[in-house]
Amino acid sequence: MAKAAYLSRSDLDSSSGSDLSVSSRTSNRSLRVLEKERRKNEAGDPFLLALKYFSEVEAGTPCLGNHVLERNLVLVERVGLSRGLPPEAISVMLDYAMSLRMGGVTCVRVLKFLIPATVVPQEAVVRAVAWLCVSKIAISTQVIFLRWVLTVFDMIDSKDNLRAIYGFIFNFVTEENLSPYICHLLYLLTRRESVRTFRVRKLLDLQAKMGRQSFLLHLLSLYKVFCPELVTLALPSRMRSGFKNHNSTWKAALSAVQKRNNGQVSSDISLTLGVKHKTNSRKRKYHHLELPSLSSSVQRNSPSSSSRKVFPLEQLHSFPQLLDNLHCIELPSQMGSLLGSSLALCYLDYVQDDSAFLRLNFWLGHALHEEFLFCSGDGGSGSSSEALHLLNMLLSTQQFLQEGFSSTEGFLYKFLNVWDGSLLRPQILGLLSDIPVVPSSCISQLLFEPLMQLFFTSTLFFKCSVIDCLNNMLLKWLTWHSVYALEDGLDISLHSHTPMNMTLSGFMDSVMELVRFVGRLATVGLQLEGCHSLFLSFVLDFYETVCDMFLKYGLPLVVMPPVGVFYPALFATDPVSVDRLGYIMYRYKKNLISAKCQQQETKQAFHISRQTYREFNHYLLFMVSCLWNSKMFLPGMAIEVDQELLALSKVPEPWTSFDLIHHPAFLGYALDFHCKCWPERKEMDLNSIKAGKQWVWYLEFLFSQGFQGLQQFVQSSINRRSAAGTNDQGQGDSQPTSS
Amino acid sequence: MEERNSIVKTPLNNVLAQRRSKSYRRSMQSCVEATNLEYTSGHLTALRTPRSRRTPKSRDITKQVDPDQVALLVTKEWQLSYVTPLYHFRHTQLKYYSKQLSAFIVSEKQQGLAIEVGQELGFKVNFSVVLGLAEMDEDAETVFIQILSKQAFAAKDDAQKVVWSGWLTCVNGDLEYLRSLPSEFVSLPLLCTRGPESLTVLIKSWFEKTFDCCFGPLGINSTNLQWLAALWTGCHPTINIQYLKLVWTLPTLPPMDVKYTIHPQDAWELWDSVRQDDITDVSIEEVTRFIKVLQSHFFRHFRIDLSAGSLMQVSTALGSSHHSGKIKIASPTYITTILQLLTECALLKMPI
Repeated sequence: MAKAAYLSRSDLDSSSGSDLSVSSRTSNRSLRVLEKERRKNEAGDPFLLALKYFSEVEAGTPCLGNHVLERNLVLVERVGLSRGLPPEAISVMLDYAMSLRMGGVTCVRVLKFLIPATVVPQEAVVRAVAWLCVSKIAISTQVIFLRWVLTVFDMIDSKDNLRAIYGFIFNFVTEENLSPYICHLLYLLTRRESVRTFRVRKLLDLQAKMGRQSFLLHLLSLYKVFCPELVTLALPSRMRSGFKNHNSTWKAALSAVQKRNNGQVSSDISLTLGVKHKTNSRKRKYHHLELPSLSSSVQRNSPSSSSRKVFPLEQLHSFPQLLDNLHCIELPSQMGSLLGSSLALCYLDYVQDDSAFLRLNFWLGHALHEEFLFCSGDGGSGSSSEALHLLNMLLSTQQFLQEGFSSTEGFLYKFLNVWDGSLLRPQILGLLSDIPVVPSSCISQLLFEPLMQLFFTSTLFFKCSVIDCLNNMLLKWLTWHSVYALEDGLDISLHSHTPMNMTLSGFMDSVMELVRFVGRLATVGLQLEGCHSLFLSFVLDFYETVCDMFLKYGLPLVVMPPVGVFYPALFATDPVSVDRLGYIMYRYKKNLISAKCQQQETKQAFHISRQTYREFNHYLLFMVSCLWNSKMFLPGMAIEVDQELLALSKVPEPWTSFDLIHHPAFLGYALDFHCKCWPERKEMDLNSIKAGKQWVWYLEFLFSQGFQGLQQFVQSSINRRSAAGTNDQGQGDSQPTSS
Repeated sequence: MEERNSIVKTPLNNVLAQRRSKSYRRSMQSCVEATNLEYTSGHLTALRTPRSRRTPKSRDITKQVDPDQVALLVTKEWQLSYVTPLYHFRHTQLKYYSKQLSAFIVSEKQQGLAIEVGQELGFKVNFSVVLGLAEMDEDAETVFIQILSKQAFAAKDDAQKVVWSGWLTCVNGDLEYLRSLPSEFVSLPLLCTRGPESLTVLIKSWFEKTFDCCFGPLGINSTNLQWLAALWTGCHPTINIQYLKLVWTLPTLPPMDVKYTIHPQDAWELWDSVRQDDITDVSIEEVTRFIKVLQSHFFRHFRIDLSAGSLMQVSTALGSSHHSGKIKIASPTYITTILQLLTECALLKMPI
């Protein structure tokens, strides 16, 4: 390779001696220095030598039959097309080509292999544009140059100076053949400050001359984005796709080079306008469900804002862009347009601008009211796919922001009164679960009454969805509370304020109301549906949230389930429900104990009423004596049955019928265990399980079946040591009794 | 510089606290905090629909308002819409709005042709303020919009033809509501339009884009039509109403329209008889009784129970109004009363 380079150099010497002699006359000394250097780097890079040739070659050097030129060109071309040219090489070659030192043919050829390896130095492009201004480059060559600039635009290292010569570039717009490319380039370079009245006029003149050219319109529409007070236009839908790509000449080579260089520099060549495509759904008379498109505001009346650098949201395409421009982003003219864009929502969440939220709420509230309450759409009762789409988007937006909009809330309160419970049920219930904490004074009127009516008159499935929705609502309220409590440095005194402008006691009242309401719903629901296990499962979901309010969410409130929930769960025929009840009781106990500890330690004013402890103890006692001690129907217990009546039922040993062996939910396991324990026995005697070791084994067997809740319950509430031998002991120990 | 440093040094949780302490609900609170409407939105209507009104006062509106402008408003039939509050609307910028709107109309009409704002165009838009129509300080002044079209081949000093007109107004709007709005918002909840629907759509869309507001159709329900009938009848002693015409639609198959015209003197005497002593106020009970009596009179003669149908239209010489949201005010004397009622209807439609 080194030898080849040397040879090529000597070839050059011999063949174009005349040229060399010309240059040697002018800069003999520098040539000598160079020569020395050359000799030193004789084994150096022929590519660099070639570049040197192009940077030094004089204007007017003939190119026909110039072998040195040809060799160097081939060399650089090969490098360019295979590995891409380094920035300096781009600079040298571009300057060489655009100065037309060796004619237009070479210029075109050079432009075609100018594939950047990393970046394109901005200065090279600026110099090239300068050449464009002074020299007589053929129009077709100019077009190729502009197409090249557009292709490598994203690889130009910085664009400040290019923007500084915006005016020069703009001048070419009148050149008919160039204007599509110039417009595109201007489109990429335009900043708000480059939009001037005289430029708008010039473009409009051109428009008058050339008709509706898409490139003019795209540039003008960008001008409109920056300065809607200067120019206005409506882009026809067929013209919304953006500029054409002009990269055909370089595309293959460029992507090959980039692939080779591990795609370090990715150039997103395709450029599209941020204009939204209109959905071609059936035409609606009213368009209130259609999201407005993002467009910048015409309202720039205050001089301070016009001098400030602003970044319209319309131009925002990526998160880094958002971060870079966070200080100067301008809200769009219609806030409703933000709903569709998560980037914009990020910004909205960041700025927390009251007016902006109000505008958004007006739009949203209007859309919801018109569609679902005023029903002014064409026959619209919200059943259309647009309505579904809007609600789904609203749901995901609220989930994204982790808060519900106030207009949604207001709408829901009205809509619940007229809702049939089936229209868009998942969406409506989803939105309902997002509503912020409702003050206890009006929660019943706004939420409970309409929900109750719907609940009692609808199917099992709807009942389950309502309980699920209320569970989610409670979870969100509690989460908010715990977040705020954390921020306030765990100040959970009664009068600290949560951001919902509510005292802690107000918040607790609301939570209490909600929990009690669900208790009532669940009680009646279980009766209506005959203790359906699906429904019971949703109810237990809810109580799994409730039992952990103190430990998980730091809310000093413990509410026990009503008897209408507790007993159906305890006597449920499916073991899962009983198991979950066990877990819930276990968590209640943990919560109550730690609340009591904290109360004693801090001597704080919060208190959980004695009634709650009493209720808990009562349930616990009953559960233990029923499941463990086989004591039922005794006087003084919650369920009392007349002994004579029991005798009439002819159930042998009725008091054992709900212990862990005879409980309908576990009977199957007991039988299974019995078979495994005494495979040879013919007669079934379940009571034998209770004796001695078998009882312990039976418990282990049950726990191994996955009844973790039951296990936790037994371990926490029953003194196993005393229970090991006999079955008549075992009592809730260490009960957090307060009396 | 000092300040910037301190911002940089501020611990993160401070920012967090600030961010968190602002809830989305706040935006609503700032709007309706004072009104107590926040949690009662389900019963918003009941709360804000008045149970009684002032008896219409005969007032020469032309003393406060430019008579030429009044002439533009009366004796024409207007189609009603409601508008949510306008963001950053300024009465001082009307000229600028004129330019913007005319450019917008032209560019929308000529899809795909950019239009320079402020150029002479085929349309001329005039925004003007109708001073004096507002009753209270909280009411924003009425804005009147007129769109003139230039005939392509018309002579130079030919009068330009008015192709569309409309006005945004607020008369005696709900005080608490208006006060609760942040200062960036201007509430002009009632829009009356007249002209081709296509232009109305364009103009509404310009308003929506420019002031981030929303429009919706505003109908006049039965109750409000009854109010209008009673209020207009009550004016008879001062201005001859000439007739009281009511139109009912009955839900028969096919639907039956009943036009019921009452002699003005009879109507007034009937109204006077159901009126109670209170001179200044009219209550909803009086209005319903008035209509009930009219209906029972009709039943006695034709055996048709009008209360089974719905009142669609009311007209007198003072004006007419239609269920679908059309209104015509014939006399400027009682214009305030009518506009107040319509402003109320429009405010009741506000989503927040």
